[in-house]
Amino acid sequence: MAKRILLVEDEPHIVESLTFLLEKSGFEVSVEINGRQALNHALSAPPDALILDVMLPELDGYEVLRQLRDDARTAKLPILMLTAKGQREDREMAARCGADRFMTKPFANADLIAAVKELANVGQD
Amino acid sequence: MNEIILGTRIRQRRREMGTTQSDLAKKIGISASYLNLIEWNKRRIAGTLLKKIADALELSLNSLDDITERRLLSTLSEVAHLGPLEGSGIEESRTGELIGRFPGWAKAIATLARSERDARNAVQSLSDRLSNDPFLGEEVHRMLTRVSVIRSVSDILVEYPDISSERRDRFNNIIHEEIGVLSNVGEALAAYLDKSEHAEHILTPTDEVESLLNAYDNHFEVIERATRELKFKTNDPLPVSRREKARALSEERLGDVIDAVIKSHPTIETASARDRARRALSDYAAGAILMPMNSFTKKAIELRYDVEALAEAFSSDVDAVCRRLNALPPGENIPKIGYFRANAAGTTVEALGVEGLNIPKYSSACPLWVLYRAQQSPEAFIRQRALFPWGARFIFVARARNTGTTGFGKPRHYLTDMIAMSEADAAHTIYAPDHSSPVEEVGPSCRLCPRRTCVHRVEDLLAD
Repeated sequence: MAKRILLVEDEPHIVESLTFLLEKSGFEVSVEINGRQALNHALSAPPDALILDVMLPELDGYEVLRQLRDDARTAKLPILMLTAKGQREDREMAARCGADRFMTKPFANADLIAAVKELANVGQD
Repeated sequence: MNEIILGTRIRQRRREMGTTQSDLAKKIGISASYLNLIEWNKRRIAGTLLKKIADALELSLNSLDDITERRLLSTLSEVAHLGPLEGSGIEESRTGELIGRFPGWAKAIATLARSERDARNAVQSLSDRLSNDPFLGEEVHRMLTRVSVIRSVSDILVEYPDISSERRDRFNNIIHEEIGVLSNVGEALAAYLDKSEHAEHILTPTDEVESLLNAYDNHFEVIERATRELKFKTNDPLPVSRREKARALSEERLGDVIDAVIKSHPTIETASARDRARRALSDYAAGAILMPMNSFTKKAIELRYDVEALAEAFSSDVDAVCRRLNALPPGENIPKIGYFRANAAGTTVEALGVEGLNIPKYSSACPLWVLYRAQQSPEAFIRQRALFPWGARFIFVARARNTGTTGFGKPRHYLTDMIAMSEADAAHTIYAPDHSSPVEEVGPSCRLCPRRTCVHRVEDLLAD
Protein backbone atom coordinates (compact mmCIF):
# COMPACT_ATOMS: atom_id res chain seq x y z
CA MET A 1 0.00 0.00 0.00
CA ALA A 2 1.32 3.43 -0.96
CA LYS A 3 2.70 5.62 1.79
CA ARG A 4 0.67 8.73 2.42
CA ILE A 5 2.39 12.10 2.34
CA LEU A 6 0.77 15.33 3.46
CA LEU A 7 2.27 18.26 1.58
CA VAL A 8 1.69 21.61 3.29
CA GLU A 9 2.66 24.35 0.89
CA ASP A 10 0.92 27.49 -0.32
CA GLU A 11 2.88 27.98 -3.56
CA PRO A 12 0.75 26.29 -6.26
CA HIS A 13 3.63 25.64 -8.66
CA ILE A 14 5.73 23.98 -5.98
CA VAL A 15 2.70 21.92 -5.03
CA GLU A 16 2.32 20.87 -8.66
CA SER A 17 5.94 19.83 -9.14
CA LEU A 18 6.24 18.08 -5.77
CA THR A 19 2.96 16.23 -6.22
CA PHE A 20 4.18 14.97 -9.59
CA LEU A 21 7.55 13.88 -8.13
CA LEU A 22 6.07 12.19 -5.07
CA GLU A 23 3.43 10.34 -7.08
CA LYS A 24 6.08 9.21 -9.55
CA SER A 25 7.98 7.86 -6.53
CA GLY A 26 4.97 5.84 -5.45
CA PHE A 27 3.54 8.04 -2.72
CA GLU A 28 -0.07 8.99 -2.25
CA VAL A 29 -0.19 12.78 -1.85
CA SER A 30 -2.63 15.10 -0.06
CA VAL A 31 -2.19 18.85 -0.09
CA GLU A 32 -3.04 21.60 2.38
CA ILE A 33 -2.30 25.23 1.67
CA ASN A 34 -2.80 26.79 5.08
CA GLY A 35 -1.41 26.02 8.53
CA ARG A 36 -4.69 25.63 10.41
CA GLN A 37 -6.18 23.16 7.90
CA ALA A 38 -2.88 21.28 7.76
CA LEU A 39 -2.93 20.86 11.55
CA ASN A 40 -6.52 19.58 11.55
CA HIS A 41 -5.81 17.24 8.65
CA ALA A 42 -2.66 15.78 10.25
CA LEU A 43 -4.34 15.31 13.63
CA SER A 44 -7.46 13.66 12.25
CA ALA A 45 -5.72 11.47 9.67
CA PRO A 46 -1.98 11.29 10.40
CA PRO A 47 -0.01 10.64 7.19
CA ASP A 48 3.17 8.55 6.98
CA ALA A 49 5.26 11.70 6.56
CA LEU A 50 4.65 15.41 6.34
CA ILE A 51 6.36 18.04 4.21
CA LEU A 52 5.86 21.40 5.85
CA ASP A 53 6.60 24.89 4.56
CA VAL A 54 7.40 27.58 7.15
CA MET A 55 5.62 30.64 5.81
CA LEU A 56 1.95 29.70 5.68
CA PRO A 57 -1.33 31.56 6.05
CA GLU A 58 -3.14 31.44 9.44
CA LEU A 59 -0.61 29.31 11.36
CA ASP A 60 3.05 29.29 10.44
CA GLY A 61 4.97 26.06 9.96
CA TYR A 62 6.74 26.25 13.33
CA GLU A 63 3.44 26.59 15.17
CA VAL A 64 1.92 23.69 13.23
CA LEU A 65 5.00 21.63 14.11
CA ARG A 66 4.82 22.57 17.80
CA GLN A 67 1.16 21.63 18.08
CA LEU A 68 1.67 18.35 16.24
CA ARG A 69 4.47 17.42 18.63
CA ASP A 70 2.23 18.23 21.60
CA ASP A 71 -0.39 15.75 20.46
CA ALA A 72 0.12 12.03 21.11
CA ARG A 73 -1.31 11.12 17.68
CA THR A 74 1.38 13.04 15.82
CA ALA A 75 4.19 13.31 18.39
CA LYS A 76 6.34 10.94 16.33
CA LEU A 77 5.06 11.83 12.88
CA PRO A 78 8.09 12.14 10.52
CA ILE A 79 8.25 15.78 9.44
CA LEU A 80 10.41 17.53 6.86
CA MET A 81 10.56 21.33 7.02
CA LEU A 82 10.96 22.91 3.61
CA THR A 83 11.69 26.61 3.49
CA ALA A 84 13.41 29.42 1.67
CA LYS A 85 14.72 30.60 5.03
CA GLY A 86 18.01 28.80 5.50
CA GLN A 87 19.78 30.76 8.18
CA ARG A 88 21.26 29.07 11.21
CA GLU A 89 18.48 30.45 13.45
CA ASP A 90 15.83 28.91 11.17
CA ARG A 91 17.49 25.49 11.34
CA GLU A 92 17.79 25.77 15.11
CA MET A 93 14.17 26.86 15.40
CA ALA A 94 13.03 23.89 13.29
CA ALA A 95 15.10 21.49 15.42
CA ARG A 96 13.75 22.99 18.66
CA CYS A 97 10.18 22.64 17.45
CA GLY A 98 10.81 18.98 16.65
CA ALA A 99 11.44 18.71 12.88
CA ASP A 100 13.14 15.50 11.75
CA ARG A 101 14.69 17.06 8.64
CA PHE A 102 15.21 20.58 7.35
CA MET A 103 15.68 21.41 3.67
CA THR A 104 16.05 24.79 2.03
CA LYS A 105 14.64 26.02 -1.25
CA PRO A 106 15.85 25.70 -3.95
CA PHE A 107 16.30 21.96 -3.53
CA ALA A 108 17.36 19.12 -5.81
CA ASN A 109 14.41 16.82 -6.61
CA ALA A 110 16.48 13.71 -5.93
CA ASP A 111 17.53 14.94 -2.48
CA LEU A 112 13.98 15.75 -1.51
CA ILE A 113 12.58 12.42 -2.64
CA ALA A 114 15.42 10.55 -0.88
CA ALA A 115 14.68 12.44 2.35
CA VAL A 116 10.95 11.72 2.15
CA LYS A 117 11.57 8.03 1.45
CA GLU A 118 13.85 7.84 4.45
CA LEU A 119 11.32 9.60 6.67
CA ALA A 120 8.40 7.47 5.50
CA ASN A 121 10.37 4.33 6.29
CA VAL A 122 11.26 5.67 9.72
CA GLY A 123 7.58 6.26 10.28
CA GLN A 124 6.86 2.58 9.50
CA ASP A 125 9.13 1.33 12.33
CA MET B 1 42.65 78.69 22.49
CA ASN B 2 44.95 75.88 21.55
CA GLU B 3 48.47 76.66 22.67
CA ILE B 4 49.89 73.60 20.90
CA ILE B 5 48.94 75.05 17.53
CA LEU B 6 49.36 78.65 18.59
CA GLY B 7 53.09 78.50 19.44
CA THR B 8 53.87 76.68 16.22
CA ARG B 9 51.90 79.21 14.18
CA ILE B 10 53.74 82.11 15.79
CA ARG B 11 57.08 80.52 15.00
CA GLN B 12 56.03 79.73 11.46
CA ARG B 13 54.73 83.24 10.77
CA ARG B 14 57.83 84.91 12.31
CA ARG B 15 60.06 82.84 10.04
CA GLU B 16 57.94 83.68 7.00
CA MET B 17 58.41 87.36 7.80
CA GLY B 18 62.16 86.90 8.15
CA THR B 19 62.12 88.24 11.70
CA THR B 20 64.46 86.87 14.36
CA GLN B 21 63.20 85.73 17.72
CA SER B 22 65.06 88.54 19.50
CA ASP B 23 63.67 91.22 17.12
CA LEU B 24 60.11 90.06 17.67
CA ALA B 25 60.67 89.70 21.44
CA LYS B 26 61.99 93.27 21.62
CA LYS B 27 59.07 94.60 19.60
CA ILE B 28 56.49 93.09 21.95
CA GLY B 29 58.44 93.78 25.11
CA ILE B 30 59.34 90.29 26.35
CA SER B 31 62.60 88.39 26.59
CA ALA B 32 63.75 86.25 23.67
CA SER B 33 63.91 83.21 25.93
CA TYR B 34 60.25 83.69 26.95
CA LEU B 35 59.23 84.00 23.29
CA ASN B 36 61.19 80.84 22.64
CA LEU B 37 59.13 79.02 25.29
CA ILE B 38 55.91 80.36 23.72
CA GLU B 39 56.97 79.30 20.23
CA TRP B 40 57.73 75.79 21.45
CA ASN B 41 54.32 75.58 23.07
CA LYS B 42 55.69 75.54 26.59
CA ARG B 43 53.96 78.68 27.83
CA ARG B 44 50.28 79.60 27.57
CA ILE B 45 49.49 83.09 26.34
CA ALA B 46 46.35 85.14 26.07
CA GLY B 47 44.99 88.68 26.39
CA THR B 48 47.23 91.68 25.78
CA LEU B 49 50.36 89.71 24.99
CA LEU B 50 48.57 87.63 22.40
CA LYS B 51 47.15 90.79 20.86
CA LYS B 52 50.64 92.34 20.72
CA ILE B 53 52.08 89.25 19.02
CA ALA B 54 49.20 89.16 16.52
CA ASP B 55 49.78 92.85 15.70
CA ALA B 56 53.52 92.38 15.33
CA LEU B 57 52.96 89.43 13.01
CA GLU B 58 50.29 91.39 11.13
CA LEU B 59 47.69 88.72 11.85
CA SER B 60 44.19 88.86 13.26
CA LEU B 61 43.53 87.13 16.56
CA ASN B 62 41.13 84.80 14.79
CA SER B 63 43.71 83.63 12.32
CA LEU B 64 45.93 82.59 15.22
CA ASP B 65 43.18 80.43 16.61
CA ASP B 66 41.23 78.96 13.79
CA ILE B 67 38.22 76.85 14.68
CA THR B 68 38.98 74.63 11.68
CA GLU B 69 42.39 73.89 13.11
CA ARG B 70 40.96 72.96 16.47
CA ARG B 71 38.63 70.51 14.78
CA LEU B 72 41.58 69.20 12.82
CA LEU B 73 43.47 68.69 16.07
CA SER B 74 40.54 66.77 17.51
CA THR B 75 40.27 64.57 14.39
CA LEU B 76 43.99 63.83 14.35
CA SER B 77 43.90 62.97 18.04
CA GLU B 78 41.24 60.39 17.18
CA VAL B 79 43.40 59.09 14.34
CA ALA B 80 46.29 58.64 16.76
CA HIS B 81 44.15 56.17 18.72
CA LEU B 82 42.85 54.14 15.78
CA GLY B 83 43.27 50.43 16.47
CA PRO B 84 45.20 49.52 13.30
CA LEU B 85 47.73 52.28 14.04
CA GLU B 86 48.49 50.98 17.48
CA GLY B 87 52.22 50.59 17.99
CA SER B 88 53.12 52.77 15.03
CA GLY B 89 54.74 55.33 17.33
CA ILE B 90 52.55 58.34 16.44
CA GLU B 91 53.94 61.44 18.18
CA GLU B 92 50.56 62.51 19.53
CA SER B 93 52.05 65.28 21.65
CA ARG B 94 53.34 66.92 18.47
CA THR B 95 50.02 66.90 16.57
CA GLY B 96 49.69 70.68 16.89
CA GLU B 97 53.13 71.09 15.38
CA LEU B 98 52.11 68.91 12.44
CA ILE B 99 49.04 71.09 11.83
CA GLY B 100 51.04 74.31 12.18
CA ARG B 101 53.93 73.27 9.95
CA PHE B 102 52.29 70.95 7.43
CA PRO B 103 48.63 71.99 7.26
CA GLY B 104 48.12 70.29 3.88
CA TRP B 105 49.30 66.93 5.13
CA ALA B 106 47.32 67.31 8.33
CA LYS B 107 44.13 67.98 6.34
CA ALA B 108 44.89 65.05 4.05
CA ILE B 109 45.23 62.67 7.01
CA ALA B 110 42.00 63.97 8.51
CA THR B 111 40.21 63.59 5.16
CA LEU B 112 41.41 59.99 4.87
CA ALA B 113 40.29 59.30 8.43
CA ARG B 114 36.84 60.74 7.70
CA SER B 115 36.56 58.76 4.51
CA GLU B 116 37.49 55.56 6.38
CA ARG B 117 34.87 56.36 9.00
CA ASP B 118 32.21 57.05 6.34
CA ALA B 119 33.01 53.71 4.72
CA ARG B 120 32.69 52.01 8.09
CA ASN B 121 29.32 53.71 8.65
CA ALA B 122 28.13 52.66 5.20
CA VAL B 123 29.07 49.05 5.97
CA GLN B 124 27.17 49.31 9.22
CA SER B 125 24.11 50.67 7.49
CA LEU B 126 24.20 47.93 4.83
CA SER B 127 24.81 45.26 7.43
CA ASP B 128 21.79 46.48 9.37
CA ARG B 129 19.68 46.41 6.28
CA LEU B 130 20.73 42.97 5.10
CA SER B 131 19.92 41.52 8.50
CA ASN B 132 16.65 43.22 9.19
CA ASP B 133 15.15 44.98 6.23
CA PRO B 134 11.65 43.53 5.78
CA PHE B 135 11.50 44.46 2.09
CA LEU B 136 14.79 42.73 1.28
CA GLY B 137 13.82 39.70 3.38
CA GLU B 138 10.50 39.38 1.59
CA GLU B 139 11.97 39.83 -1.91
CA VAL B 140 14.80 37.37 -1.30
CA HIS B 141 12.23 34.86 -0.05
CA ARG B 142 10.14 35.40 -3.20
CA MET B 143 13.21 35.02 -5.36
CA LEU B 144 14.26 31.74 -3.72
CA THR B 145 10.74 30.36 -4.05
CA ARG B 146 10.64 31.21 -7.77
CA VAL B 147 14.07 29.67 -8.31
CA SER B 148 12.92 26.51 -6.49
CA VAL B 149 9.99 26.07 -8.82
CA ILE B 150 12.10 26.65 -11.92
CA ARG B 151 14.77 24.24 -10.74
CA SER B 152 12.35 21.52 -9.70
CA VAL B 153 10.19 21.72 -12.83
CA SER B 154 13.08 21.97 -15.27
CA ASP B 155 14.72 18.96 -13.59
CA ILE B 156 11.47 17.04 -14.01
CA LEU B 157 11.48 17.84 -17.74
CA VAL B 158 14.97 16.41 -18.03
CA GLU B 159 14.57 13.49 -15.62
CA TYR B 160 11.20 12.29 -16.97
CA PRO B 161 11.47 12.42 -20.78
CA ASP B 162 8.42 10.18 -21.21
CA ILE B 163 5.84 12.47 -19.58
CA SER B 164 2.72 13.31 -21.56
CA SER B 165 2.86 16.22 -23.97
CA GLU B 166 0.04 17.85 -22.04
CA ARG B 167 2.02 17.77 -18.82
CA ARG B 168 5.18 18.88 -20.63
CA ASP B 169 3.31 21.94 -21.96
CA ARG B 170 1.98 22.63 -18.50
CA PHE B 171 5.48 22.50 -16.96
CA ASN B 172 6.88 24.68 -19.75
CA ASN B 173 4.18 27.23 -19.00
CA ILE B 174 5.05 27.13 -15.31
CA ILE B 175 8.71 27.82 -16.12
CA HIS B 176 7.70 30.65 -18.43
CA GLU B 177 5.46 32.23 -15.75
CA GLU B 178 8.01 31.82 -13.00
CA ILE B 179 10.77 33.39 -15.08
CA GLY B 180 8.49 36.39 -15.62
CA VAL B 181 7.90 36.73 -11.87
CA LEU B 182 11.60 36.21 -11.14
CA SER B 183 12.47 38.94 -13.58
CA ASN B 184 10.07 41.32 -11.76
CA VAL B 185 11.61 40.42 -8.42
CA GLY B 186 15.06 41.09 -9.86
CA GLU B 187 13.96 44.47 -11.18
CA ALA B 188 12.36 45.42 -7.86
CA LEU B 189 15.52 44.46 -6.00
CA ALA B 190 17.74 46.35 -8.42
CA ALA B 191 15.56 49.47 -8.18
CA TYR B 192 15.51 49.23 -4.42
CA LEU B 193 19.27 48.81 -4.11
CA ASP B 194 19.80 51.59 -6.62
CA LYS B 195 17.60 53.92 -4.59
CA SER B 196 19.38 52.82 -1.42
CA GLU B 197 22.74 53.62 -2.95
CA HIS B 198 21.65 57.19 -3.54
CA ALA B 199 19.68 57.59 -0.38
CA GLU B 200 22.25 55.96 1.91
CA HIS B 201 20.23 54.61 4.81
CA ILE B 202 16.90 56.28 4.07
CA LEU B 203 14.27 53.59 4.30
CA THR B 204 11.45 54.66 6.55
CA PRO B 205 9.62 57.93 7.30
CA THR B 206 11.65 58.12 10.53
CA ASP B 207 14.83 57.90 8.46
CA GLU B 208 13.57 60.65 6.16
CA VAL B 209 12.99 62.95 9.13
CA GLU B 210 16.33 62.08 10.70
CA SER B 211 17.99 62.88 7.43
CA LEU B 212 16.37 66.34 7.51
CA LEU B 213 17.44 67.00 11.10
CA ASN B 214 20.97 65.80 10.45
CA ALA B 215 21.28 67.85 7.26
CA TYR B 216 20.72 70.96 9.36
CA ASP B 217 22.83 69.66 12.24
CA ASN B 218 19.52 69.97 14.09
CA HIS B 219 19.84 73.75 14.16
CA PHE B 220 17.14 75.65 12.27
CA GLU B 221 18.06 79.31 12.31
CA VAL B 222 14.90 80.28 10.44
CA ILE B 223 12.74 78.73 13.19
CA GLU B 224 14.92 80.23 15.94
CA ARG B 225 14.38 83.67 14.34
CA ALA B 226 10.65 83.18 13.90
CA THR B 227 10.15 82.12 17.53
CA ARG B 228 11.89 85.29 18.75
CA GLU B 229 9.03 87.28 17.27
CA LEU B 230 6.35 85.26 19.06
CA LYS B 231 4.85 86.35 22.34
CA PHE B 232 4.49 83.46 24.73
CA LYS B 233 3.37 83.72 28.31
CA THR B 234 2.39 81.00 30.70
CA ASN B 235 2.50 80.63 34.42
CA ASP B 236 2.04 76.92 34.23
CA PRO B 237 4.63 75.33 36.51
CA LEU B 238 4.42 71.92 34.84
CA PRO B 239 7.08 71.36 32.15
CA VAL B 240 4.82 69.02 30.18
CA SER B 241 1.95 71.47 29.82
CA ARG B 242 4.29 74.43 29.20
CA ARG B 243 5.76 72.42 26.36
CA GLU B 244 2.35 71.48 24.98
CA LYS B 245 1.24 75.10 24.99
CA ALA B 246 4.45 76.19 23.25
CA ARG B 247 4.00 73.41 20.69
CA ALA B 248 0.40 74.47 20.04
CA LEU B 249 1.55 78.06 19.55
CA SER B 250 4.25 77.05 17.09
CA GLU B 251 1.84 74.84 15.16
CA GLU B 252 -0.61 77.73 14.96
CA ARG B 253 1.81 80.51 14.10
CA LEU B 254 4.84 78.91 12.47
CA GLY B 255 3.17 76.41 10.14
CA ASP B 256 4.40 78.23 7.00
CA VAL B 257 7.99 78.51 8.23
CA ILE B 258 8.05 74.82 9.18
CA ASP B 259 6.49 73.73 5.89
CA ALA B 260 9.06 75.76 3.95
CA VAL B 261 11.90 73.97 5.74
CA ILE B 262 10.32 70.58 5.00
CA LYS B 263 9.68 71.47 1.36
CA SER B 264 13.29 72.49 0.87
CA HIS B 265 14.57 69.06 1.86
CA PRO B 266 14.46 66.48 -0.96
CA THR B 267 14.54 63.36 1.24
CA ILE B 268 11.11 64.08 2.73
CA GLU B 269 9.16 62.13 0.15
CA THR B 270 6.26 60.45 1.89
CA ALA B 271 3.15 61.93 3.53
CA SER B 272 3.98 60.09 6.73
CA ALA B 273 7.47 61.62 6.78
CA ARG B 274 5.99 65.09 6.22
CA ASP B 275 3.67 64.65 9.23
CA ARG B 276 6.52 63.39 11.38
CA ALA B 277 8.78 66.22 10.25
CA ARG B 278 6.05 68.74 11.10
CA ARG B 279 5.73 67.27 14.60
CA ALA B 280 9.51 67.20 15.07
CA LEU B 281 9.94 70.81 13.94
CA SER B 282 6.98 72.01 16.01
CA ASP B 283 8.64 70.37 18.97
CA TYR B 284 11.90 72.07 17.98
CA ALA B 285 10.09 75.41 17.85
CA ALA B 286 8.53 74.73 21.27
CA GLY B 287 12.05 74.18 22.62
CA ALA B 288 13.15 77.44 21.02
CA ILE B 289 10.20 79.29 22.59
CA LEU B 290 10.80 77.93 26.08
CA MET B 291 14.61 78.02 25.88
CA PRO B 292 15.59 80.83 23.48
CA MET B 293 18.99 80.04 22.00
CA ASN B 294 20.85 83.10 23.29
CA SER B 295 19.84 82.70 26.91
CA PHE B 296 20.04 78.92 26.69
CA THR B 297 23.61 79.06 25.37
CA LYS B 298 24.66 81.47 28.13
CA LYS B 299 23.07 79.34 30.82
CA ALA B 300 24.51 76.14 29.31
CA ILE B 301 28.02 77.60 29.44
CA GLU B 302 27.46 78.85 32.99
CA LEU B 303 26.14 75.48 34.17
CA ARG B 304 28.71 73.58 32.12
CA TYR B 305 26.01 71.83 30.08
CA ASP B 306 24.58 70.11 33.15
CA VAL B 307 21.33 68.65 31.79
CA GLU B 308 19.62 68.35 35.15
CA ALA B 309 20.52 71.91 36.22
CA LEU B 310 19.41 73.29 32.84
CA ALA B 311 16.09 71.46 33.10
CA GLU B 312 15.56 73.11 36.46
CA ALA B 313 16.72 76.53 35.28
CA PHE B 314 14.25 76.51 32.36
CA SER B 315 11.51 74.51 34.13
CA SER B 316 11.82 72.05 31.31
CA ASP B 317 11.90 68.32 30.63
CA VAL B 318 15.23 66.54 30.47
CA ASP B 319 14.64 65.32 26.91
CA ALA B 320 13.74 68.84 25.74
CA VAL B 321 17.02 70.10 27.24
CA CYS B 322 18.94 67.27 25.56
CA ARG B 323 17.43 68.22 22.19
CA ARG B 324 18.27 71.86 22.79
CA LEU B 325 21.87 70.94 23.60
CA ASN B 326 21.97 69.03 20.34
CA ALA B 327 20.76 72.18 18.56
CA LEU B 328 23.51 74.46 19.88
CA PRO B 329 25.19 76.15 16.93
CA PRO B 330 28.93 75.53 16.57
CA GLY B 331 31.19 78.00 18.34
CA GLU B 332 34.35 78.34 20.31
CA ASN B 333 34.41 75.88 23.21
CA ILE B 334 30.84 74.81 22.43
CA PRO B 335 30.74 71.02 22.56
CA LYS B 336 28.92 69.12 19.81
CA ILE B 337 26.37 67.08 21.70
CA GLY B 338 24.46 64.16 20.20
CA TYR B 339 21.13 62.91 21.50
CA PHE B 340 19.78 59.36 21.55
CA ARG B 341 16.59 57.89 22.92
CA ALA B 342 15.89 54.18 23.42
CA ASN B 343 12.91 52.22 24.70
CA ALA B 344 12.86 49.21 27.00
CA ALA B 345 13.11 46.83 24.05
CA GLY B 346 16.46 48.40 23.19
CA THR B 347 15.12 50.05 20.05
CA THR B 348 16.68 53.40 19.25
CA VAL B 349 13.66 55.64 18.91
CA GLU B 350 15.61 58.76 18.07
CA ALA B 351 19.20 59.34 17.06
CA LEU B 352 20.53 62.85 16.54
CA GLY B 353 24.08 61.84 16.02
CA VAL B 354 27.38 63.42 16.59
CA GLU B 355 30.26 63.13 14.15
CA GLY B 356 32.00 59.77 14.36
CA LEU B 357 29.25 58.06 16.31
CA ASN B 358 26.76 55.91 14.49
CA ILE B 359 24.15 53.67 16.00
CA PRO B 360 22.55 50.73 14.22
CA LYS B 361 18.86 51.37 13.77
CA TYR B 362 17.65 48.02 12.48
CA SER B 363 19.75 45.52 14.37
CA SER B 364 20.87 45.27 17.93
CA ALA B 365 23.45 47.81 18.97
CA CYS B 366 26.24 47.14 21.43
CA PRO B 367 24.53 46.27 24.74
CA LEU B 368 27.45 47.74 26.63
CA TRP B 369 26.33 51.30 25.90
CA VAL B 370 24.95 52.99 29.00
CA LEU B 371 21.91 53.85 26.85
CA TYR B 372 20.73 50.27 27.42
CA ARG B 373 21.87 49.99 31.02
CA ALA B 374 20.31 53.13 32.44
CA GLN B 375 16.93 51.45 32.95
CA GLN B 376 18.48 49.38 35.72
CA SER B 377 18.73 52.60 37.74
CA PRO B 378 15.76 54.74 36.70
CA GLU B 379 15.91 58.52 37.13
CA ALA B 380 19.67 58.51 37.87
CA PHE B 381 22.09 60.25 35.51
CA ILE B 382 24.85 57.78 34.63
CA ARG B 383 28.06 58.75 32.89
CA GLN B 384 30.04 56.34 30.76
CA ARG B 385 33.50 56.86 29.35
CA ALA B 386 33.29 54.77 26.20
CA LEU B 387 36.24 53.57 24.17
CA PHE B 388 35.52 52.29 20.65
CA PRO B 389 37.67 49.65 18.92
CA TRP B 390 39.08 52.25 16.51
CA GLY B 391 40.24 54.40 19.42
CA ALA B 392 37.51 57.06 19.47
CA ARG B 393 36.50 58.08 22.97
CA PHE B 394 33.05 59.36 23.80
CA ILE B 395 31.31 60.44 26.95
CA PHE B 396 27.75 59.15 27.28
CA VAL B 397 25.35 60.46 29.89
CA ALA B 398 22.07 58.57 30.17
CA ARG B 399 18.98 58.67 32.31
CA ALA B 400 15.85 56.54 32.19
CA ARG B 401 12.50 58.20 32.87
CA ASN B 402 9.08 56.76 33.46
CA THR B 403 6.64 57.50 30.66
CA GLY B 404 3.75 55.41 31.94
CA THR B 405 0.97 56.58 34.22
CA THR B 406 2.05 56.92 37.82
CA GLY B 407 0.42 55.24 40.78
CA PHE B 408 0.73 52.13 42.88
CA GLY B 409 0.49 48.93 40.89
CA LYS B 410 0.68 50.75 37.56
CA PRO B 411 3.27 49.36 35.16
CA ARG B 412 6.33 51.50 34.61
CA HIS B 413 7.43 52.12 31.03
CA TYR B 414 10.86 53.63 30.76
CA LEU B 415 12.50 55.56 27.97
CA THR B 416 16.16 56.41 28.16
CA ASP B 417 17.57 59.75 27.06
CA MET B 418 21.27 59.92 26.40
CA ILE B 419 23.59 62.70 25.35
CA ALA B 420 26.92 61.88 23.74
CA MET B 421 30.01 63.91 23.02
CA SER B 422 33.62 63.31 22.19
CA GLU B 423 35.89 63.17 25.20
CA ALA B 424 37.65 66.30 23.92
CA ASP B 425 34.33 68.18 23.84
CA ALA B 426 33.34 66.82 27.26
CA ALA B 427 36.26 68.79 28.73
CA HIS B 428 34.04 71.89 28.53
CA THR B 429 31.24 70.23 30.47
CA ILE B 430 30.36 69.06 33.94
CA TYR B 431 30.68 65.52 32.57
CA ALA B 432 34.43 65.79 31.90
CA PRO B 433 36.01 62.63 33.27
CA ASP B 434 39.11 62.77 35.42
CA HIS B 435 41.98 60.41 34.87
CA SER B 436 40.69 57.95 37.41
CA SER B 437 37.31 57.54 35.65
CA PRO B 438 37.15 54.01 34.32
CA VAL B 439 37.19 53.56 30.57
CA GLU B 440 34.68 51.03 29.25
CA GLU B 441 35.37 49.22 26.01
CA VAL B 442 32.27 49.29 23.82
CA GLY B 443 31.59 48.70 20.14
CA PRO B 444 29.24 49.77 17.34
CA SER B 445 27.32 46.48 16.85
CA CYS B 446 28.54 42.88 16.96
CA ARG B 447 28.62 42.61 13.17
CA LEU B 448 31.15 45.43 12.96
CA CYS B 449 32.99 45.00 16.22
CA PRO B 450 36.45 43.47 16.09
CA ARG B 451 36.47 42.59 19.81
CA ARG B 452 36.36 38.88 19.04
CA THR B 453 36.52 37.63 22.61
CA CYS B 454 33.75 39.88 23.96
CA VAL B 455 31.43 37.72 26.08
CA HIS B 456 28.44 39.81 25.00
CA ARG B 457 28.84 38.94 21.32
CA VAL B 458 25.60 37.67 19.78
CA GLU B 459 26.42 37.83 16.06
CA ASP B 460 29.53 37.07 14.05
CA LEU B 461 31.69 39.82 12.64
CA LEU B 462 30.47 40.76 9.14
CA ALA B 463 33.87 40.43 7.43
CA ASP B 464 35.42 37.72 9.58
